[in-house]
Amino acid sequence: MTLQTLSKNANPATDLKARIGSIIAARETGVLLALLVICVFLTFATSSFLTVRNLLNVGRQISLLGIMAIGMTFVLVSREVDLSVGSTYAISGLVTGMLIVRGSALIPALGAGLLLGMLIGSMNGVLSTYGRLPSFIATLGMLSVVRGAALLITDGQPVTVDTTRGGRSEVVNQFYQLGQGQLFGMIPMLLVCFLIVAAISWLVLAKTTFGFRVYAVGGSEKAARLSGIQVFQTKILTFALMGLLSAIAGILSLAFLPSGQAGRTGVGLELDVIAAAIVGGASLSGGEGTILGTIFGTLIIGILRNGLVLLSISPFWQTTAIGLVIICAVGIDKWTGLRRSQ
Amino acid sequence: MITHSLQHRTALIGLMLAGLLPAIVSAEENTSFTLAKTIQDRIAKGEKPIIRVSYHDVSNEFAPFIKKGVEKAATDFGVDATLVGPVGADAEKQVSEIESLIEKGVDGLAISSVSTDALAPVIQRAMARGIPVVTFNTDNPSSKRLAFVGQNLVESGRVAGKLLADTLGGKGSVIITTLDAAAQWSIDREKGAREALGQYPDIKILTTVTTGTEPQQIYGSIENAMQAHPNVDGILSLECCSTPAAGQYVQRNGLADKVKIVGFDLLPETIKLVQGNVVAATIDQGPEKQSYGAVQLLLDVLKGKKIQDVDTGAVVYTSKNIGDYVVASKEQK
Repeated sequence: MTLQTLSKNANPATDLKARIGSIIAARETGVLLALLVICVFLTFATSSFLTVRNLLNVGRQISLLGIMAIGMTFVLVSREVDLSVGSTYAISGLVTGMLIVRGSALIPALGAGLLLGMLIGSMNGVLSTYGRLPSFIATLGMLSVVRGAALLITDGQPVTVDTTRGGRSEVVNQFYQLGQGQLFGMIPMLLVCFLIVAAISWLVLAKTTFGFRVYAVGGSEKAARLSGIQVFQTKILTFALMGLLSAIAGILSLAFLPSGQAGRTGVGLELDVIAAAIVGGASLSGGEGTILGTIFGTLIIGILRNGLVLLSISPFWQTTAIGLVIICAVGIDKWTGLRRSQ
Repeated sequence: MITHSLQHRTALIGLMLAGLLPAIVSAEENTSFTLAKTIQDRIAKGEKPIIRVSYHDVSNEFAPFIKKGVEKAATDFGVDATLVGPVGADAEKQVSEIESLIEKGVDGLAISSVSTDALAPVIQRAMARGIPVVTFNTDNPSSKRLAFVGQNLVESGRVAGKLLADTLGGKGSVIITTLDAAAQWSIDREKGAREALGQYPDIKILTTVTTGTEPQQIYGSIENAMQAHPNVDGILSLECCSTPAAGQYVQRNGLADKVKIVGFDLLPETIKLVQGNVVAATIDQGPEKQSYGAVQLLLDVLKGKKIQDVDTGAVVYTSKNIGDYVVASKEQK
């Protein structure tokens, strides 16, 4: 979307909508196809892939990544990036955990973690808009600041959620339920949370004015501004949402494991999160990406990781394979000309 | 060519100095080390020795134990001893920090190397400048350090392997889990473990799983590996952090009676799992003793004493004796 195309069109909003729609449809089909090919291959190559138990495991394993990749989709669509998500994930979970360990009730502890995530996200947003820093730089800085803060508040000690240091047993049990419970006795709670987040986010991004604004801002900031969209507010909101979703994932992670450590929890997670969104069709140059695509992208990464272990392939190859998938997913798109050159 | 001649010259000056100053011969033969004149003067004047303990990742689970040992040594011996090191295992950061410490001037360095190859030159440089260096936790044998305080890793692997084999009654299928199969400590422990397990003809090692260091990843990797090998009878974890994850997996999937686990270290979660008989045994390496002992050795060097390697052992904890540890650590607090 450039200014020239805009001047030819009387209504920039309709033009944006039409373009976005056509790009998305092509990309999602491609990702889904790749996903199906991988699944069919694994079904025949291993005896344990296509079992209910394994699929539920994969579902749970990708849930936290998926929740964050959804947030990243919003950020990428708005033509920004957030590198601080792994640190936000760690500190939000740890703060919630520390409060529970110190005897807090469940809701205040969860609230504090979620609020902290949103605050960090908003700060990323403010730095990247009013602060005039590129979001790559602002969030790279925040990655370090927040990780350091997590180490400081925990003093480097692991946080284990249990009742040994004053945590109330009913609160601890409720917290465990949140991460370890199962719906209908089989569907992991983490997967349930992921599906809920996915459904709401799909509605927000695809069907609301806010979602439309995010696409518009990422497609062309100037055009968006001319259409009367508050660019900075929109961007800050997407960062805040990213922070909130990182916090949700971080809290669920601690509820599942129930032990976290500021030096290791969520380290390097940002790369997986960005990869999942990119494989699913989001673009670093903004304006592109959908929740459905990101879910497919997350599934590809999760299933690949699971499948490579089931095939007993060396862990070093697993790392390589995931890198190749990222390159191919974006590459095929460009090479076959499915996407217009930018 | 220029560097060569420079090296010769430094060696010559070194020899000259060695002739003038009293030399302390370390435990290893043929290695002579000379304490820098400035340090000798400072100690002679009765100034507080400055010791820096560089641990390879001050943000990991183990660091609080190491820090405690350093702090205890500082109080017990009345010296200025503090823990330093990179946040997140990073050889380059560790090396540059040590370089600055050498320039700033310290009376002794205790170093746990994130990578043996990367740290050896800087250790040699410190020693050449007359700063005594000992290693702890993770050794660096090629650096000619004065001594090492820590666990014999290969031996600890052997102990773990034998424990698991005995727990399994000498037969069954085993997987080995480690945060990083390519790390030196892991290679050493795995070597010992495979040696010990190899003594039992009815034990089959199915695979070694590298779990990565992120908690969710560790759990997910174990889960995937168990899915790939449904008939596992035993899990041997080579370090602190995949031990509790393996325990949690087994406990949550109702496999506690079927799958036996032997692991390492005493993280809070591991202690609970040992108490609950989910983890059959865990091996402690005395992390506090490692950093405490390293400071102690350096002070001995400053006093002109000869020093030797210290083995902090491999203490085995099961549900029977884990209570002793819990009681002891509570009393300490």
